[in-house]
Amino acid sequence: MLKGTLDLLILRTIEIQPRHGLGVSDRIAQITGGTFVVKPGSLFPALHRLEQEGYIEGAWGESDQGRRAKVYRITAAGRKRLTTERRSWDRIVTAVGQVLDPA
Amino acid sequence: MPIGARMRSAWRTITRQSALDADLDAELQAAVDELAAAHRAAGLQPADARRRALMDLGGADQVKEQVRDARVGAPTLTLLRDMALAWRGLRKAPAFTLAAVVTLAVGVGANTATFSLVNAVLLQPLPYRADDRLVFVWGDMTAAGYPRGPLSGPELTDLREQAARFEGFGAIWATTAALTGDNDPQQLRIGLVTGNFFSLLGADAAIGRTFMDEDEPTAAPDTILLSDGLWRTRYGADPAIVGQRVLVNDQPTTVVGVMPPGFRLLMPPDSNVPEQLEAWQPFARDLPRRLRGQMFLRVVGRMRDGVSVDEAARDVSAVAADISSRYAEYGSAGRRFTTVGLHDDGVRDLKPALLVLQGGVAVLLLIACINVAGLLVARAAGRARETALRLALGAGRHRLVSQCFAEGLVLAALGAIAGLATGWILLRLLTAARPPSLDRMAGVGLDPTVLAFTAATALAVALAFSFAPLAEMVRANLLALLQQGGRSLGSAFHHRVRKGLVVLQVAMGVVLLVGAGLLVRTFANLTTVQPGFDDRGVLTVRLALPASRYGTQASLDAFARALQSRLAALPGVTQAGAISHVPFDNIPNWSTTYLTEAGGDESRARRADSRAVSPGAFATLGARIAEGRDFTEDDDADGELVAIVDERLARTAWPGASAIGQRLVTDPRVTGHPTVWVKVVGVVRHLRHLTLLEEVREQVYFPVRQAHRNPMAWLVRTTADPAALAAPIRATVAALDPQLPIFDVRPLSDYVAGARATQRFTMLLAAVFAGLALLLASVGVYGVIQYGVTRRQPELALRVALGAGRGSVVRLVVGEGARLALAGLVLGMAAALVAIPAIGSQLYGVTPRDPVSYLLALPVLAAVALAASAVPAWRAARVNPADGLRAE
Repeated sequence: MLKGTLDLLILRTIEIQPRHGLGVSDRIAQITGGTFVVKPGSLFPALHRLEQEGYIEGAWGESDQGRRAKVYRITAAGRKRLTTERRSWDRIVTAVGQVLDPA
Repeated sequence: MPIGARMRSAWRTITRQSALDADLDAELQAAVDELAAAHRAAGLQPADARRRALMDLGGADQVKEQVRDARVGAPTLTLLRDMALAWRGLRKAPAFTLAAVVTLAVGVGANTATFSLVNAVLLQPLPYRADDRLVFVWGDMTAAGYPRGPLSGPELTDLREQAARFEGFGAIWATTAALTGDNDPQQLRIGLVTGNFFSLLGADAAIGRTFMDEDEPTAAPDTILLSDGLWRTRYGADPAIVGQRVLVNDQPTTVVGVMPPGFRLLMPPDSNVPEQLEAWQPFARDLPRRLRGQMFLRVVGRMRDGVSVDEAARDVSAVAADISSRYAEYGSAGRRFTTVGLHDDGVRDLKPALLVLQGGVAVLLLIACINVAGLLVARAAGRARETALRLALGAGRHRLVSQCFAEGLVLAALGAIAGLATGWILLRLLTAARPPSLDRMAGVGLDPTVLAFTAATALAVALAFSFAPLAEMVRANLLALLQQGGRSLGSAFHHRVRKGLVVLQVAMGVVLLVGAGLLVRTFANLTTVQPGFDDRGVLTVRLALPASRYGTQASLDAFARALQSRLAALPGVTQAGAISHVPFDNIPNWSTTYLTEAGGDESRARRADSRAVSPGAFATLGARIAEGRDFTEDDDADGELVAIVDERLARTAWPGASAIGQRLVTDPRVTGHPTVWVKVVGVVRHLRHLTLLEEVREQVYFPVRQAHRNPMAWLVRTTADPAALAAPIRATVAALDPQLPIFDVRPLSDYVAGARATQRFTMLLAAVFAGLALLLASVGVYGVIQYGVTRRQPELALRVALGAGRGSVVRLVVGEGARLALAGLVLGMAAALVAIPAIGSQLYGVTPRDPVSYLLALPVLAAVALAASAVPAWRAARVNPADGLRAE
């Protein structure tokens, strides 16, 4: 996975709907059809870092299966960060596309 | 992420660690439960489901570790943990820690103290406007024994009128004045200054103003400028005193201002202008018209911008040449002036000593660094197997690096703190023991910049060297390390180099020790030197009789006679007398010209220190009349003019003949003209009153009734404690004249002790630094021996296993220490024999090759070697024979 992409994926996933840790990785795996599998060893450090940096916040609640879990939601700062990350991602995609398929 | 938020997060990571961890535990536990539930749903047994769940997660502890590492501020937390770990480790090795901290403390402390001094004394500018423009002008009278003498009033005027490269010249002369009327009578040390003196320096008053040219009076001065100290002690810091009138020398005098606290006159120490004067008054306007031969002015000039000291000096020299060509009075022939920068000249005597000292302590810091490195290497060697094991078990190298770093940091911090304390103590010690010539040192504090610099140095050193053992470790072959228990660490070559360095340290310590020994012997000799008088049992006080009430010779004589007979009658008093100068009082030296025949060339007359004494003064001093007689009460205004000369003058003036009955043409009133014929009635033993070290300059004594001086010092010899005489003397003076201030009440032995102060200071300095150098050397020896023992542990264990007694093992280790010390001793002795003659001029009564001082080094060195080998020897003696065998 490209460096920085994980943050982007996590932020986008919980922007749509607050989720607990495993919920985030399940959702990413589901949407990408198994292309991206985020292992817990990468997921949890990233979640905690993003939380400490103030982009997401976690609170104890219930998972979609009704279990007690720490559920993360995006913050205002997180939304802003997501917008900038998205923009730069788009730029990269466009740029790489132009290299691969010159007009 | 904004820096503030990041800091807050890091702070939370560090302070709320356990809460964060508990939260993380719960979250991971929930994840495991969820995964396990999924596996159970898929049909696995609960235990298997749980195991699978943990595998999915990739190990709960591993994830936890990764999360912790990802936290903001995690590296700081790790460092703090490592430092706590290092602290515990250091506490478990007290000998190592103490040695390292003491070493750093000595290096840092000595450097901080010395550099604070150098900075304050040499580097800080003088507290005057554009101090680099200020010069001091000396009258060079080398032929008369005064290479750095004062100038006369007319000469100051010549400079002002002719030296075009100057903005101006000002002058000062230190004297005393009586402050009476509003309070107890008090004698002040004042500076008489030209009206432009303060504006020339660029020093302003804190309240009121300094002087202007218009303040120069036609007769007695009627204005006064107070020092901050006098203003506080006498006038209770009352600002309203400015503009009021006080009585100075019985003359109503207006206070024009108060100088700021901390204002100091930083004139060259040998200019006889004390740093701390209590007040200032202006010279009278007739200064330019005073006698050309009456030289007493200390002259400061301010160069114009862009003029170099050399150019300015040429201007001044041209004026001197002009004076030589135009006048034939005493001293005017071949008149020469020396122009020097005020700042440079003020520190002229201090500079070389301070620079040598600074160089010495810099070397000390270097040695300290080498020693700490040595200690760390020895410690690493002792832990080599543990480290190798940790590496083999998969400890990351960066963790080891981090731990080394943490240990260095803790050591450096401890060393810096201990260094601060050491520096403070050293500085207090140095300034408290300073001789009067180093008064500039007073009030120097630890300089924060300097402290930061040295602490940073200690830090850098400790850190750099904390990696040194690691570098070896990382290079080292793991397997070999594990097998050999660390003996491959540090090649034999390195060990030899370190031994060489330690020998050098010991040698340096020996040189300093021998030097200190010689200086101690010098000081001891100075305390037994015969200065020509006996300083025990004499109290001295000074009295100045105001001209308003004692205007005539008759009134002065009447007072003096009355006082002398009353003092002599005090209980316990055996003798009393008066003299114009107490030995070593540093009051500007009066000297007089003399010729032995009429019509001699007075511009080339010889010069002798001249003093006025009362009858009985010599007996009170304990000075011996070698030939002829003492003065009597008949040697007064009505008697024949007489003088007593010292043996030195008698020898020079009338070689091979008796001086008694010879006649001199001289100048008792210091007019600049030797015109008065006096008859020599006595020859007194030479009195050393300028230096204890040697006889300098000839001396002539006049009877005070014929050569009146004011103020005079009164000497009272007692069989009891002289200090106890202060009160009776005060009462006796007050009974004669209650308005008369007594000042400088001091035992004569005080003045003599002051004359030994420089030697005392050098001795102390040498002793302190010899002690520090030896301390460092013993730490060096300790480090090397400790390392040697670690390297040879298996061998030593084998010896013990094979039946060698513990005693022989101890002998082996101590023997190694003794060998190093002996090598250092031999080298140091040789170096001392070559180097010490360089300080020959500082010695008195001992030769630079004095065997006693050299032999003194032997027991000290033995003690050093023993102390340094004690801990390693103890360790070696406790070696477990089984350990050694296993290690092989």
